[in-house]
Amino acid sequence: MELLLEEKHRAVRQSVRRFCDRELRPIAAQIDQECRFPWEVVEKMGKLGYFGIQVPKALGGAGLDSVSYAIVIEEISRVSAAIGLCITVHNSVAVYPILSFGSKEQIQKWVPPLARGEKIGAFCLTEPNAGSDAGGIEATAHVDGEDYIVNANKVFVTNGGIADICLIFCRTDPSAGARGISVVVAERGTNGFVVGDLEDLCGMRANPVCSIRLYDCRIPVSNLLATKGMGMKIGLAALDTGRMGIAAQAVGIAQAAFEEAIRYTKQRHQFGVPIERHQAIQTMIADMATQLDASRLLVYRAAALKDKKLPFSKESAMAKLFASEAATYVTDLAVQIHGGYGYSKAYAVERYYRDARVTRIYEGTSEIHRMVIAKSVLKE
Amino acid sequence: MHIIVCIKSVVTEAPIGKIVRTANNSALNPFDRPAIETALKLKENHGGTVTVLSMGPPTAEAILREALAMGANRAMLLCDPAFAGADTLATSTVLCAAVAYLKPFDLLLFGTRTSDSDTGQVGPQTAVLLDLPIVTGIHKTTFTPDCLIVERESDGFQETYEVNFPAALTIDQTAAVPRDPGLEGIAAAFDEMPVETISIEQLNLDSARTGDAGSPTRVLSMKPVRKNRSCQWIEGTPVKQADSLVRQLVDKGLIG
Repeated sequence: MELLLEEKHRAVRQSVRRFCDRELRPIAAQIDQECRFPWEVVEKMGKLGYFGIQVPKALGGAGLDSVSYAIVIEEISRVSAAIGLCITVHNSVAVYPILSFGSKEQIQKWVPPLARGEKIGAFCLTEPNAGSDAGGIEATAHVDGEDYIVNANKVFVTNGGIADICLIFCRTDPSAGARGISVVVAERGTNGFVVGDLEDLCGMRANPVCSIRLYDCRIPVSNLLATKGMGMKIGLAALDTGRMGIAAQAVGIAQAAFEEAIRYTKQRHQFGVPIERHQAIQTMIADMATQLDASRLLVYRAAALKDKKLPFSKESAMAKLFASEAATYVTDLAVQIHGGYGYSKAYAVERYYRDARVTRIYEGTSEIHRMVIAKSVLKE
Repeated sequence: MHIIVCIKSVVTEAPIGKIVRTANNSALNPFDRPAIETALKLKENHGGTVTVLSMGPPTAEAILREALAMGANRAMLLCDPAFAGADTLATSTVLCAAVAYLKPFDLLLFGTRTSDSDTGQVGPQTAVLLDLPIVTGIHKTTFTPDCLIVERESDGFQETYEVNFPAALTIDQTAAVPRDPGLEGIAAAFDEMPVETISIEQLNLDSARTGDAGSPTRVLSMKPVRKNRSCQWIEGTPVKQADSLVRQLVDKGLIG
């Protein structure tokens, strides 16, 4: 695995791991239980460049490649998946679309504070009646003078409770179907911009996931990203990168569960020997290790393709599908190895198990990813 | 002001037999981080440049890049087969030649010790070879344009010295909290900044004075120490347990 990485990537991993083990690990279980977003750590992450991993230096970012990006997300998620989620969503589906589709003025205005972590981004696509079928969104934006009047009900917004800059997917042309969808950038604090209550989720509890509603919210027409009707294209491009981040997050969760499981198999004795000596446990360890390595390889491949500016959409879908399924499998076995203790909040694997589950759901379900992959394969 | 910081790539796992250094078992000596941080703070507050210097195998380049990522301006790796197998004297000889190569400089900093061989000799030895004044185990530095005021603690006393430039210091761990290398720094260290590699010829050194040939020290054997641990249950009320524990620790001379 390490053979595929450059020294730079190793340095990125070492640096992020040291920071997260020191700053985030001592509070990771607590912030999960308290549903608390740890600003005290996140502010430090901002100073270290975690909020602008691939943003060019001239715009306040770190200017790193996609492989580094995957490693950063993996390492943060190894300690706290909820914070890994904050960082990946911010970088991949908030900052990246502005950087790729925004005008020069929009980039200059929004990207530097986002890249420095002074502002936090969110991606608002999902609605109560539109998830996998993103083309079915009901949010609307119609022009009134210099402004759009936006009405939207966006749910399950990652970073929703803290986001300053939100990409809102809405219909600018109700008669044009999926081609009538556009992205406008809404800033927190605008009249009519309402942040809903925190979702009481199974996992990722330290991330302030909530709904964001816009009631007759006036947003300047100049906040339209790219051109009218580009919404689906922006969304799909963002999700190509985003799903690589979620795949990396799944790898981080699985890695954490795997490490805990290995530790426990050496520590726990049954039938007079450490349980690592039992073949039934060894079978689980072998399967976990293999699933984990395969996931990581798929993630790094997708990232390396992106860095080489080669097509990576199918590969990032494969990485997301496989790594998220593997993470639920690996965390499940980690709980199994821990027996009754694994079902207790006193042991970290309980949190990993809960956190892993959603990776198969958000930023495209496993089922949607299979559709994406099949479509791509059959077209080849 | 030109500050040179000598740093080491240490082995993170206790070796069984001969040490084979790889990227995975090497890391920047944790005792060197406060020295790097002290240099970077002096640079930020009073201007100047920071050069990091290390003698080691090619894998040691990684720690120099890490120091660049933290904010050092220049990195130099003293790497030559003739440097291999060096004890502290041979190491100091090479560092001395490299520091002379990097002249002029104002401060030469070291950590107090290393986490692997842990002799604490290289800093003082190099200073002696360079005929530089040295103060060891510095807790605090205060800059003035003419000199540096440094504080150290020894045997329960705090000593304060005024040190003229150029001087050598070994920096205690309490002197500064080392910064994390940010992602931007890492990108710059790997994508934009060079690590200069210097060989024995460039330093004009005689190979009889370096590496194994120049090392009077002979390590006869090296093996991990096995400590026998015993577990003892102390019975009784918490107060009695605490009394018993304290008494046993006092009896063993562990607390006084």
